[in-house]
Amino acid sequence: MRGVFAFLLLFALLPFLPLGVWRAFLLDVGLFVLLFTALALSWDLVARTGQLSLAHGAFFGLGAYGTGLLLPHVGTLPALALGALLAGLGALLLGSVTLRLHGLYFAIASLAFSEVLRTLALKLPFTGGPIGLPVPPPFGGGLPLAGYYLAFAVLALAVALSLWAEKSPFRLAQAACRQSEAVARVLGVRVVRVKLLSLFLGSLVAGLSGGVYAMKALFLSPYEAFSLARAVEALVIPIFGGLYTTLGPLLGGVVLVGLEQALRLWIQEGYLVVYGALLVLAILFLPKGLLGLLGGRRG
Amino acid sequence: MRLEVQALETGYGKAQVLFGVDLGVEAGELVALLGANGAGKTTLLRALSGLLRPWKGRVLLDGQDLKGLSPARRARLGLGHVPEGRQLFPLMTVEENLRLGAAFLAPGREKEGYERVYALFPRLAERRRQLAGTLSGGEQQMLAIGRALMGFPRILLVDEPSLGLSPRLAEEVLLALKEVARGGVGVLLVEQNVALSLEVAERGYVLEHGRVVLEGPAQALAQDPRVREAYLSL
Repeated sequence: MRGVFAFLLLFALLPFLPLGVWRAFLLDVGLFVLLFTALALSWDLVARTGQLSLAHGAFFGLGAYGTGLLLPHVGTLPALALGALLAGLGALLLGSVTLRLHGLYFAIASLAFSEVLRTLALKLPFTGGPIGLPVPPPFGGGLPLAGYYLAFAVLALAVALSLWAEKSPFRLAQAACRQSEAVARVLGVRVVRVKLLSLFLGSLVAGLSGGVYAMKALFLSPYEAFSLARAVEALVIPIFGGLYTTLGPLLGGVVLVGLEQALRLWIQEGYLVVYGALLVLAILFLPKGLLGLLGGRRG
Repeated sequence: MRLEVQALETGYGKAQVLFGVDLGVEAGELVALLGANGAGKTTLLRALSGLLRPWKGRVLLDGQDLKGLSPARRARLGLGHVPEGRQLFPLMTVEENLRLGAAFLAPGREKEGYERVYALFPRLAERRRQLAGTLSGGEQQMLAIGRALMGFPRILLVDEPSLGLSPRLAEEVLLALKEVARGGVGVLLVEQNVALSLEVAERGYVLEHGRVVLEGPAQALAQDPRVREAYLSL
């Protein structure tokens, strides 16, 4: 719990720390850490019900495209909110037809959902198709730190949702769904409702982080916004950091996104080989993720 | 409270398992449902708690037809289910498992529930902070029953509680169920251990190939030559 707040405090104050010539670079890295950590937490929120989602790239893309398309017409914050809502609607649609599926079957269905959306983004007349979609910066570009603090707000929301789900009876409902659906049912848990709510909340956060990403990247392409790599990153971070916790994805996000950037700087060509090797080592020797090093218990 | 089953038929896919089962359980009574492997005992319990849809027939709780109600809804009406094979949450502590039993069925009554369960099974109280996965088989069965009791059911369905337990522990668990029934809960006990079940139960039903072939007071069943031959091997 204290770790979570220390983490948030560090990121809230990052722009005011004396970072010297590294400031612009570190703030950029920091922004991506915030966004992808929020995405990872939103994936974990769904994973806690036992559902392996490969649709988080799609929710991210829906939020990104929704925000990008609406931004010129309605302004920054409404565009973000509507983009997230679009992701939420996508989640309700996906969830209402697939949440009776379990584990791997749900994963495959969510992957198909993701592919369909990417095709739509490529073919629809108003998305810019394969050429891509230019997106203006937040608030007309007048506030240099706006993107960073929007990303911070998305992460803060993700943390708040995750902590709520951890501290309330919702945790028990999620854990029961994950471990045995039949038992959860006879203990009075409304399984479908719990799974659908988790997926909806997760998709809202993923959509928000996609929206902020769009305003930072200033340009979206279907391959980038709906990429499977995004969905994979969303699940690698919690597994690396520690599943079904708030602190695990936070730690995992900082270490993995930071590591990726650092390796890119130091090794340059072929840095992904080292990155991959480190992941393999982590899976082999840290089955409970980084949190396992701290002696954390999960269940 | 009274649970009543009328002409229930159900199965899996095209395979029919139950061919018209009638039975009843009153509040405060321990009823044994006996039968060999594959007779349809577990299937019947699953149909009662709503995990399996009946094809024909009715399940009534105090006269209310449960047709179309979800398992969660039935549990809220007072129908508890201890599933076969315990199915605890192994990475949660004993007390967390119990809390889960109350969280959605009797929120706010946790304290009362703990007292009742710990009075019934004092060893669970000693192990309340231990992970459920580290308990012995008998303790796990006690915890599974305790978890169902935390929801304050008025009818409790218990599936094979003596499975894999030593004779002494099996007896301890069945006597605890007798105690639960004395407290006013109607208990429907599914068992393969016929001799022991007929010792503690008041009435019993014998299920064969999806049909009730015998029913009556437990003592009469224990004396019945067919039961003695087929299940007690006397």
